Amino acid sequence: MKNSLLSFFLKIEPDKKKSPFLHTLYDGFFTFAFAPNHVTKGGVHVRDGMDLKRLMFHVVIALQLCYLFGTYNIGQQHFSALGMYEGFLEGFHLKIFYGLVQILPLFVVANLVGLGIEFFYAYKKGHGIEEGFLVSGALIPLIMPPALPLWILAISVAFAVIVGKEAFGGTGMNVLNIALLCRVFIFFAYPTTISGDDVWVAGLEKVDGVWTASYNFVVTGVLNPVFESFGWATYQNGMAVVDGYSGATPLSLAAKGGWEAVTARFTPEQMFWGNIPGSVGETHKLFVLMGAGLLLYLGIASWRIMISMVFGLIVTGILVNMWDATPAMNVPWYYHFSMGSFLFAMAFMATDPVTAAATDRGKLFYGFFIGSVGLIIRVLNPAYPEGWMLSILFMNVFAPLIDHFVVEGHISKRKSRLTKLANS
Amino acid sequence: MGDFLNVFIKTAFVENMILSYFLGMCSFLAVSKSVKTALGLGIAVIFVLGITMPINWLINEYLLKETGFFGLDLTFLRFILFIAVIAALVQLVELVVEKFSPSLYNALGIFLPLITVNCAILGGSLFMISRELTLSKSVAFGLGGGFGWFLAIVALAAIREKIQYSNVPPALRGLGMAFILTGLMGMAFMSLMGIDPAAFTK
Repeated sequence: MKNSLLSFFLKIEPDKKKSPFLHTLYDGFFTFAFAPNHVTKGGVHVRDGMDLKRLMFHVVIALQLCYLFGTYNIGQQHFSALGMYEGFLEGFHLKIFYGLVQILPLFVVANLVGLGIEFFYAYKKGHGIEEGFLVSGALIPLIMPPALPLWILAISVAFAVIVGKEAFGGTGMNVLNIALLCRVFIFFAYPTTISGDDVWVAGLEKVDGVWTASYNFVVTGVLNPVFESFGWATYQNGMAVVDGYSGATPLSLAAKGGWEAVTARFTPEQMFWGNIPGSVGETHKLFVLMGAGLLLYLGIASWRIMISMVFGLIVTGILVNMWDATPAMNVPWYYHFSMGSFLFAMAFMATDPVTAAATDRGKLFYGFFIGSVGLIIRVLNPAYPEGWMLSILFMNVFAPLIDHFVVEGHISKRKSRLTKLANS
Repeated sequence: MGDFLNVFIKTAFVENMILSYFLGMCSFLAVSKSVKTALGLGIAVIFVLGITMPINWLINEYLLKETGFFGLDLTFLRFILFIAVIAALVQLVELVVEKFSPSLYNALGIFLPLITVNCAILGGSLFMISRELTLSKSVAFGLGGGFGWFLAIVALAAIREKIQYSNVPPALRGLGMAFILTGLMGMAFMSLMGIDPAAFTK
């Protein structure tokens, strides 16, 4: 079966000279499905199938649980705003399909735009497709609010890929994390679509001053008739939200009223199990941790960065608790792990091997400062509720500097050792 | 002390001279090719800013204002006197650098005397006047502004050293990349914007 598939693919390979664009496309998909057919010549021999593409694919696999729960949670938050189907399994099909309706367009647009630009540049520059966008394309939908307008997503992805990556010379050369650059672009260019209390729950619209459910034609025209034919519950347009409901995330509650305001609305267990409004993929902490575990087990993510980032958060958190000058500062440091997206940022964003510091000792500093700066932004900066996106970008800027000093330190240490040897 | 620290942190990180006011761009872009020279220039800027600010403050307060020594409103002389002070100090720095590190002196070349017209330094003094800082705060402002400038140029230099090996499109090589990087760094530095250290005193 597999061999016949392979021979089929080999047979349809377009000619490289006659149709270079088709060949680039073909090459990209071929190496995606099979190990590339290149044999190294000269000094270095790689005897492992674990090339860049496989490595990236493992990260995508590690993200799948986040996708599953993210899809469910979009529906869950939507219906809990309407006061319906509070239990986990109640209205399960409604929640899952509603989540799919929201997340699939995000995923498709992000990947179409990003991969499209990548393919175009590969063709223009005449090299193979590098697939650097695989991971970014999988991460981007997970860090967006579920109801983000698609044209904004398309613009931001184009910005991130062209300015953040292709200008620097393609995959592996970027200085700032692509997924985060994409998010930060939206954050500063269209702030109302990605911050505030109204954007984290999908499918609600303000009609005459009241938030009501509103569904698009896919839901009412396709899903409703199908569910009806099975005799299942259907979506109902125009339901009003529960009285006094607010889509505030734990973080915005903490910024306003401290830990009491958070616990008045959410329990710590609820935040850990992810039944809270937030960006699509970050809410379920256990699934994020499982993804992190997989990355650590496969040796893709650096444990140094993760450990030092946790350490940085703990140290800064305890200091902030001791300071205790504003309401936001009284959130116990150990609950900072379950609020917001710290774990997601730690597992998938900070450990990006391209933009992180490359030296072992540098990684420790890098992680520590991310943890520390991120918490400072989260707690002390009234302008932004969450800090990890900005703190990781901030440290991305300084990562080459950290590396530079670590390497300089090594060089001078060895020099002094040598002179000592020469003198003795 | 608390005030001093507040102003220092605010000018170094929150309102960075380069990345939020875009002052001192010429030497920022031109001398950021290697970390070593960037370090030298950055330290020179910290030194010059840190010393000119209090001197200019004293000049402004005791000579130029109507309440000062001459009893006349001489504030129209501000620019010329500030520049003169800055130029004198830069000469001093130049002498010191030439004496103690000739290699750095050669690497910095024309940009060392050009600190005189570095917008960040005159800008710092003028900010000090328009914000009506006290003497201690103006020292903090000078040191903080210099430190922020130093951080930004060293970070940019490290990134530019790193991307030397990248396959950057030919049209963007060199200065083009430096401009893009400055913009992206400005985005990253937005992270600390809006923090007001003074708001957290109990």
